[in-house]
Amino acid sequence: MTEEGSWKQLFCHGDYMSEAYWGLEQNLKTTPLYKVHNDNRAKLVPFAGYNLPIQYENGIIAEHNHTRNSVSIFDVSHMGQIKISGPMIYDAMEKILPISFSKIAPGQIKYTQFLNNEGKIIDDLMICRTFEEDHVWLVVNADCTPKDLDHLYNNLNKTYKIELIKDRALIALQGPKSSNILKTFFQEIDDMAFMTADWFNYNNENFFISRCGYTGEDGFEISIKDRHAEKFINELLQCEGVKLAGLGARNSLRMEAGLCLYGNDISSSVSPIEAGLTWSIPKERIENGGFIGHESIKKDLENGVERKLVGIKPLGKLPAREGAQILDKNEKTIGKITSGGYSPSLQAPIAMGYINSDILKNNYEVLLDVRGNLIPAEITSLPFVEHKYFRGNK
Amino acid sequence: MAEIYFTKDHEWIKVEDNIGVVGITAYASEQLGDIVFVELPEEGITAEIGKDIAVVESVKAASEVYSPVSGTIIKSNEDLNSTPEIVNEDPVGKGWFYEIKISNNDELLGLMSEEEYQKHIGD
Repeated sequence: MTEEGSWKQLFCHGDYMSEAYWGLEQNLKTTPLYKVHNDNRAKLVPFAGYNLPIQYENGIIAEHNHTRNSVSIFDVSHMGQIKISGPMIYDAMEKILPISFSKIAPGQIKYTQFLNNEGKIIDDLMICRTFEEDHVWLVVNADCTPKDLDHLYNNLNKTYKIELIKDRALIALQGPKSSNILKTFFQEIDDMAFMTADWFNYNNENFFISRCGYTGEDGFEISIKDRHAEKFINELLQCEGVKLAGLGARNSLRMEAGLCLYGNDISSSVSPIEAGLTWSIPKERIENGGFIGHESIKKDLENGVERKLVGIKPLGKLPAREGAQILDKNEKTIGKITSGGYSPSLQAPIAMGYINSDILKNNYEVLLDVRGNLIPAEITSLPFVEHKYFRGNK
Repeated sequence: MAEIYFTKDHEWIKVEDNIGVVGITAYASEQLGDIVFVELPEEGITAEIGKDIAVVESVKAASEVYSPVSGTIIKSNEDLNSTPEIVNEDPVGKGWFYEIKISNNDELLGLMSEEEYQKHIGD
């Protein structure tokens, strides 16, 4: 028996994945929560240059369902946290990102993308307009961090200071009960709206907390100094109902939520218009331009794009994964799956992929080529599972 | 009395006379994690030693299963269609994949004993 696909390493290395020397042998980095993972019997896999838990002992489905029903902790310390400071920082960032700071209140977070000159996605990211006016705070994908930094250095002049934050862990607390848990540490957290962030203090330590996430649930991302991360996680784990969850559950949760994974659903050959991310670009930026990639984005919107990201529901039980061809009834190729797997919430396979725009409409019946078997499937809108973000106490 | 043999790729086969029952090992099922689908061979088809004959889909990935011996598929475990999770729960029992009429019993000589397999996964 051998494993196909991107988790190959897991099977090949078997039990030894929990041994520290694998990390050394493959030059894998560890996060400040490495001990917590091992103490909780994590199955560790190489991911984005780090040794990270794909699951703990309860397994992916249990971790997934626990996140939807209660609250889970994910170690996302591999992600790049970047602080950029300098004069007129908003004007400078608007030349790089298709966002409008005039529409972003202090403390607000926006989802956006770094684009190349062709309007394709270098990376997708969260940017926070902090309450301090001299800097912005970014969270970017682990694998993309080096090219993101290059992009920033190439497009910001030397008066701007670009800092990769190397001494802070990042912990995601996700699920409907996440605010109940977190408010026992930070009372004010209850009033935060989704997509806002602020600094908090606990035990004389500064926490940068964002109410956001990658699961479709209410939740928080907590940036904390490395040296305090383990202690804080262990305190969280003492709270009733809080459990650890790994990358496996993170992936099935984000797929159900219809959220793109960089490297799968979006990449430097995909435009945000193709990926269904037009909502993230304000109208006045499309009209007025002034950011990298604008001309292509405008063209994509005016002329339409040839392919679009859609949700796909394979009928039956066989999951169709990344790379599977999408065919029409005449068995002509019309697209390709970019993410696919099993949805624990729907107890059925789900997938995302690109389809030629000219044949696109809801409930369009297609075929998926899974190892030579043609599986009937239907096109659907995203997300598969409704988002339950917290929009405020008003 | 049935005898059990193992492959280095984590399949097992229980043999009585020239009929074998095939599945994946506890080690394999644990490594794969939650199993959500098993693509089983059709009855009557011919299996070839070392060639892929079934596919296990876990939440994580799709994995191919190779036939430990050559022969003809007599029966597939239809319980796996509705409850694939029994492969996790009872991999060497209720979670069997298929029954095979072995065409050449000598092929069994190339497989591992339980003891050898335990050593193999301990390496």
